[in-house]
Amino acid sequence: MNRDRINKILNRIPTHAIIIFMILVWVVPTFGLLITSLRPPQEINTSGWWTVLSPPRGSGEYNEYCASCHGDDGSAIPEADLTDPALIAQYPRSLQLLIALREEINGQPHMQDIPIPESQAAADIATYLRRISELDAPPRFTFSNYIDALVGYRGTSTYLKDCEAGTAPLDIHCNTSDILNPRGMGRAFVNSLLVTIPATFLPILFAAFAGYAFAWLDFKGRFLLFAILVGLQVVPLQMTLVPISRLYAQLGLNGTFLGVWLFHTGFGMPYAIYLMRNFLGSLPRDLFESAYLDGASHWTAFYRLVIPLAMPAIASLGIFQFLWVWNDLLVALVFLGGTTPVMTYQISNMVTSLGAGWQLLTASAFLSMLLPMIVFFGLQRYFVRGMLAGAVKG
Amino acid sequence: MAKRSVPNIMKQGRLAPWLYLLPALLVMSFFIVYPMVNTIALSFSNKNGTASAATTCVEGKPCWGIFENYHYALTAEMDTSSLPAFWSSFWRSSYGNTLKWIVLMVSGTVGLGLMFAVLADRVKYEALAKSIIFMPMAVSFVGAGIIWKFVYDYGTQQVQIGLLNSIITSFGGKPIAFLTVPQLNTVALIVVGVWIWTGFCMTILSAALKAVPDEVIEAARVDGAKEWTIFWKIMVPIIMPTITVVITTMVINVLKLFDIVYVMTGGNFGTDVIANRMYTEMYINFNVGRGTAVAVVLVIAIIPFIYFNIRRFLAQEEMR
Amino acid sequence: MKKVFWQIFAMFVVTAMLLTACGGTATEAPAASTDAMCMGANPGDEISLLYQWSGQEEERLNQILQPLVEKCGIVLKPESTRDQALLDTRVQAGTPPDIAFWNITQLQQYQDKLFAMDALGASKDAYIPGAIDSGVVDGKWLGLPVKSDIKTIIWYSPANFETFGYSVPTTWDELDALVEKMVADGNVPWSMGLESGDATGWTGSDFLQDILLVQQGPEYVMNIINGTVPYNDAGVVQAYETYGKWATDPAYTVGGAQGTLSTAFLDAIYKPFSDPPEAMMVKQSGFAGGEVQKQYPDLVFGTDYDFFVVPGAKGLQGGSDWMMAFSDKPAVKALVTYLSSPEGGANWAKAGFDLSPNKGAAGNYTDPSLIKKAEAFYNTQGFTPDIGDSIPSGFGSAEWTAIVDYLNGGDLTAALDQAAAVQAEALK
Repeated sequence: MNRDRINKILNRIPTHAIIIFMILVWVVPTFGLLITSLRPPQEINTSGWWTVLSPPRGSGEYNEYCASCHGDDGSAIPEADLTDPALIAQYPRSLQLLIALREEINGQPHMQDIPIPESQAAADIATYLRRISELDAPPRFTFSNYIDALVGYRGTSTYLKDCEAGTAPLDIHCNTSDILNPRGMGRAFVNSLLVTIPATFLPILFAAFAGYAFAWLDFKGRFLLFAILVGLQVVPLQMTLVPISRLYAQLGLNGTFLGVWLFHTGFGMPYAIYLMRNFLGSLPRDLFESAYLDGASHWTAFYRLVIPLAMPAIASLGIFQFLWVWNDLLVALVFLGGTTPVMTYQISNMVTSLGAGWQLLTASAFLSMLLPMIVFFGLQRYFVRGMLAGAVKG
Repeated sequence: MAKRSVPNIMKQGRLAPWLYLLPALLVMSFFIVYPMVNTIALSFSNKNGTASAATTCVEGKPCWGIFENYHYALTAEMDTSSLPAFWSSFWRSSYGNTLKWIVLMVSGTVGLGLMFAVLADRVKYEALAKSIIFMPMAVSFVGAGIIWKFVYDYGTQQVQIGLLNSIITSFGGKPIAFLTVPQLNTVALIVVGVWIWTGFCMTILSAALKAVPDEVIEAARVDGAKEWTIFWKIMVPIIMPTITVVITTMVINVLKLFDIVYVMTGGNFGTDVIANRMYTEMYINFNVGRGTAVAVVLVIAIIPFIYFNIRRFLAQEEMR
Repeated sequence: MKKVFWQIFAMFVVTAMLLTACGGTATEAPAASTDAMCMGANPGDEISLLYQWSGQEEERLNQILQPLVEKCGIVLKPESTRDQALLDTRVQAGTPPDIAFWNITQLQQYQDKLFAMDALGASKDAYIPGAIDSGVVDGKWLGLPVKSDIKTIIWYSPANFETFGYSVPTTWDELDALVEKMVADGNVPWSMGLESGDATGWTGSDFLQDILLVQQGPEYVMNIINGTVPYNDAGVVQAYETYGKWATDPAYTVGGAQGTLSTAFLDAIYKPFSDPPEAMMVKQSGFAGGEVQKQYPDLVFGTDYDFFVVPGAKGLQGGSDWMMAFSDKPAVKALVTYLSSPEGGANWAKAGFDLSPNKGAAGNYTDPSLIKKAEAFYNTQGFTPDIGDSIPSGFGSAEWTAIVDYLNGGDLTAALDQAAAVQAEALK
């Protein structure tokens, strides 16, 4: 290797370091969510997700205070076998454990010359003893959070355990119909799809029409109208909820999918028109001229020429609108409500309701991210290309 | 200017353009224009929209008559007893916070986005790297709130389940309550915003950078220019139009931003921003008049940026 | 590439259609029978319900309503959300639910749109004295109190108390002395947690109201609610100072001011019962027992966790969810009649869905902690509703803001002045 190449590589190191650092910062929070969603509930609150692969809680303390007499696996003294669940059940917490440790055994201090552990250490040891005696040995990873989230289980145990024991709540039937339980993420996933697909398709269609008119048709006040329509981006969504729901009440559209589709269509319009007009405007003029010379009407030009050529823009707009609608909470909350809950609605309901634990929240949040991620990674090439048409155009 | 962009050979009926525009105009007037007019009207009324805002004036206090809701929207958070008091209350108000958001979040997203775009251009795993930075755009705000809970969480015990505090305590530091300490919490929320939106800026800027002709850069290199100089003196000026578009788009986004604050602190602990305040007034305090007045203030604050955006666009159009 | 897009698109559409086709909603077949209790409701009549309960709570409500559903064949269309905006936009739009179980504030807010309970078949005599007073707005009785809870109680661990030789205090001075003793022993007396999303601060307002009940008494609290005592009165200042002493000092509460502000209210409930305990006591409403049970299923009420009434309190703070009716159709009448009947009260108690002020509930509780709560609930004089809930127009959130600002190091006078201004405006 010559010196130039070595220098070149050395020069690159800061670049790589910065990029990799940024990637880490961007990925780690989401990765934490994924790990957390796979942990049993009692572990989530008591240790950080990054400790998931470290030795179980209390094992260090056990080795320090207990292992010299009771042995590494706890069964060294037969009359005080620490792997015996019946024995350990008498010492559920540090309090009882510490009392026992302070007592004398056969006239000797229980701990002999080892100091008595602090209460935190004792608590950790108690936890560890429950684990080795299999009284309470939560696995490192579990899928039950996802199952519970999908079927909408909100009890105190897990769906599978409750179904096995026959103690499932009223709205759980322990068969495949549970996947469509209105409280579950499974049903919400379907509702989200039903909301999102038409609410993605409609604005693209309308914006393609409008964009074509703005780009290739001539009429009075063209730029003014375009400026106004795009300028309507200023209107914040929150202030339209009450007037629209009043109108919807008269039209009977509250709580219907149609109402939500139309609302998203209306609000997606300014950006969609902006993007479509820019993209269509950048198509070569000759193309249209020759089409018209061949006797094509505007309409044929539109659907034979414009739509196919605009596919990159349509795809990118599609993904953008898809993400927007899929991740929307407010519109779905107000116009669909709890009778047809979508995924964001279910999650936000869990966030605020008492007692639904982090295990359900993290699993649900991850479920709701899956489809957008797939759509995004699958179609991102189009996305980038089309988005550029909207923003960067000289 | 308008005529040139249309092929002169085209023939069209007089109604044709309007037929194409009809669906868009219909939905937009129904969903955007009508509510906007309605909002402006309500902002001059009392809390239920049953009487004029002037009736809510408190005797013996300054009153702006029919503009009383605007009086409230603009001054309620401010302490006008003295200039220093005013400034300190301004920086704790939703307006001060929104300003912080605009400055920090826009510079953060655009700065990091530009840096990443430049750097990623030089490595082999560019596509993957960019996708990862873009990924948070696919996450809902509710999801983002949960994701960041496990970063910012503050534990009173030795065990920290928040990543940042765990790092701090492992170095012997004291845990920090990121979401409740005033000033710091706004920054913590802005970091979440930057995390979400950097990918958006990066993608657009990266494409603009790729459009910079290679010859120009090569010529500069041959002349012995340093990479840093090339970046500032050649690349940045060429992509300046794109940078301005991205900045204005981000400013508009930030002004309307409500979800992050709503999900993570609900505007508590001095983190309120204008968009969240509008929501609070309308749906938590049930004061329609005040809520809509805040909304109108917000719209007025956005208009200059939209105007700027459109004017730029029209200027580009003329050059076409 | 085009093809890929359309293929994926088509896939979505097909999946969505398949899934909806499978997910047809099943409605329970009504058992046709007419009863006086049904108030003329026909089998198949629907009632839309909106409430904030979910999970187990919802399950219990279903249990309570089961007899009515079976007898009259009414079909319930429930919706569960915590989001106020949902109810509000529905009401504003003129499409409210038939029945809402919500907070007391909404009785005032929607008073023009609600139907009076006596006209729907409920009788005031069915309730324990005083329980429905706050449900009467401008002389009209607009809501049924359901799912009541007592707030003026303190949860502790008898096991921990025994280990350290503490006894349950019976006067405020004893409590104060106990707290000092705990501090001297190196134990942290209180676990406090105000964090609760956009409702952050409410646990603080509960604590403050209890201090007011000790220092000033129920009449004073009622005067704050009706506006004769401004919220920046000297008595309120005194209560804030008492509270602030405990809530900001790491010797008295877990983590000091930052701990109080940043700890989620649920996490605060766990701390006295964790291993090792982080604190000795947590002041929280009756529901806390259920949360302890959920978090630590091995703990037993009475030996591992228990509560005592805030010593020295001259009244009891309690809250109810209120049932309000936006419709007077027969099925709604049937529901109101049923819930206010002795049978409805008894079923409520049997389901163990917290307390019911319905006289029929007394003696029907089965859960030991509910029996103890019921005892305090029925025997106490001077029942006061939550101040923040009882004053309309955002006083609740102004009160929370005052608490949070004060604990965060803000000026107490300024914080209370602001809340008092909102109070004055709301009650004008």
